[in-house]
Amino acid sequence: MNAVGLSTLINRELRRTFQIINQVIWPPLVSTLLYVVIIGLSVGSRVESVSGVPYVTFLIPGLIALTVIEASFAESSASLFQHRFMNSIQELLVAPLAYWEIVIGFVAGSVARALLLGNLLMLFLPAFTGRWPANFPLYLVLMVLIAVLFSSIGMIMALAAEKWDHIAIPQTFVFMPLIWVGGAFSPLALLPAQIRPLAYANPMFYVIDGFRYAILGVAEAPVWASIGITTLLAATSLGVVLRLFQVGWKLRV
Amino acid sequence: MFETASPSPADGAPAIAVHHLKKRYGPFTAVDDVSFEVASGDFFAFLGPNGAGKTTTINTIVGLANFQQGNVRVFGHDVVTEYRRARAYVGVAPQEFNFDRYLTVEEILVYQAGYFGVPAEEARPRARQLLQQFELWDKRGKDVSKLSGGMKRRLTLARALIHAPRLLILDEPTAGVDLELRLELWDFLRALNRQGMTIFLTTHYLEEAEQLCNRIGIISHGKLVALEDKHSLLSRLSQDRLEIMLTAPVRELPPPLTEYDVLLELDGRKLVVRNASPRDLPRILRALEARGHELADLAIQRRNLQDIFLELTGKQP
Repeated sequence: MNAVGLSTLINRELRRTFQIINQVIWPPLVSTLLYVVIIGLSVGSRVESVSGVPYVTFLIPGLIALTVIEASFAESSASLFQHRFMNSIQELLVAPLAYWEIVIGFVAGSVARALLLGNLLMLFLPAFTGRWPANFPLYLVLMVLIAVLFSSIGMIMALAAEKWDHIAIPQTFVFMPLIWVGGAFSPLALLPAQIRPLAYANPMFYVIDGFRYAILGVAEAPVWASIGITTLLAATSLGVVLRLFQVGWKLRV
Repeated sequence: MFETASPSPADGAPAIAVHHLKKRYGPFTAVDDVSFEVASGDFFAFLGPNGAGKTTTINTIVGLANFQQGNVRVFGHDVVTEYRRARAYVGVAPQEFNFDRYLTVEEILVYQAGYFGVPAEEARPRARQLLQQFELWDKRGKDVSKLSGGMKRRLTLARALIHAPRLLILDEPTAGVDLELRLELWDFLRALNRQGMTIFLTTHYLEEAEQLCNRIGIISHGKLVALEDKHSLLSRLSQDRLEIMLTAPVRELPPPLTEYDVLLELDGRKLVVRNASPRDLPRILRALEARGHELADLAIQRRNLQDIFLELTGKQP
């Protein structure tokens, strides 16, 4: 294993995040807190308790998950696509780094950015809800799994894309709608009974629901199903990226 | 100058061994059954017109291109199945600039060393040495976009050397570089080669290949059309051209002129002997004198690598 090479790549990804911290850390932190204040506290104060907790309390895990998703996707997709676009990916491809080390380097950098942002938000949790995560180890594990899932998806998009706007298409038209209707802002129990079975088929629901369980201790689906589905999705997407790097898809001509 | 840090190669293995390499892009065959070896310590020039397959061949050696047939080894290690070991030996300076835009000039070297497994504390003194060598030390904290073309070219070379490779692959190393700097780079590359570093370069400046290299390969339309020692290539293919002007026309070629490829011009007053060497001149002149011909003028046209290149590829380099 090229430990120095791998740590250099992770270091480079973290360095990139801190170089553009005013673009990638503070804005999502502020905007998410604004969501909590405006939607959670003002509008939410007029909503009765949801799943047995105040609306703002219900909302926060969904918002943290959403922020982790966006941060991990944005970091890996932008960093890798920029590397491809500028051809600087060749610096990595000619080095004695195993293909999996390159993938792990990008994923670790994205997970680190997502964890930094997610945990900064989590520090505000007691101020709004009066509590810390109910199951802290599970909270951390699921946050990492969610970040691995979406940093892997970000890398797949960065390989597939030929132009910058290609990256945003699946994020905007597939993943975000699935996340928004997947219980990020309201429980599926509030949906009309006719479409509820469809909502339960949405894998993003389990990703959000498991994370909410780790923080609040309340869930709509069995927690083992949420953990299992999140793990399966993360492992599958990571496996796809590893395979793409192994064959050199869009990397080696 | 720089001690090589990459691992010791397999005993006696050539620096590069390319066997029956075939690389296609869809229906287009970029490299067609190319085989060659570059011995350890060689200074090898790989020449060919634009689009002949030079960069594609380099890309297969350094891991930037997949290929359909054949195999490529670097110091005995297969670039596909043992790609990590193979890559550890190689420093590559590509034709197109491909720097990481988030790093400064010095960091580009330190991070590249890191990717090759050299810790930062070891890489920094080496980066300093290289940046000073290439007169980039005062630019060390700058963004690459602030460098001139010549500076970027030097930085590309410094980056290729930062992990002290045993094999240096240079794709057009002096493109866009002024004459003074080009001569300095030539001296620097000669010194590296003298210290044992194998150098493989492509260039459009045939003088560069003629001046620096000891072996030459020429590729045209994806096929290798020449591969040999520079001097034997030059002597085999660069037979000089004798131009003999006579005061009166020749009606019939006397022996031994019939043994040569002779073109009669100016109604027989000018003889162009295309496959003779200057050593043949006395016997040719004696034969003409014996037939009563008087010499008016004589020219010997020496052919260089450029003429050979044009003859083999039919193109401008």
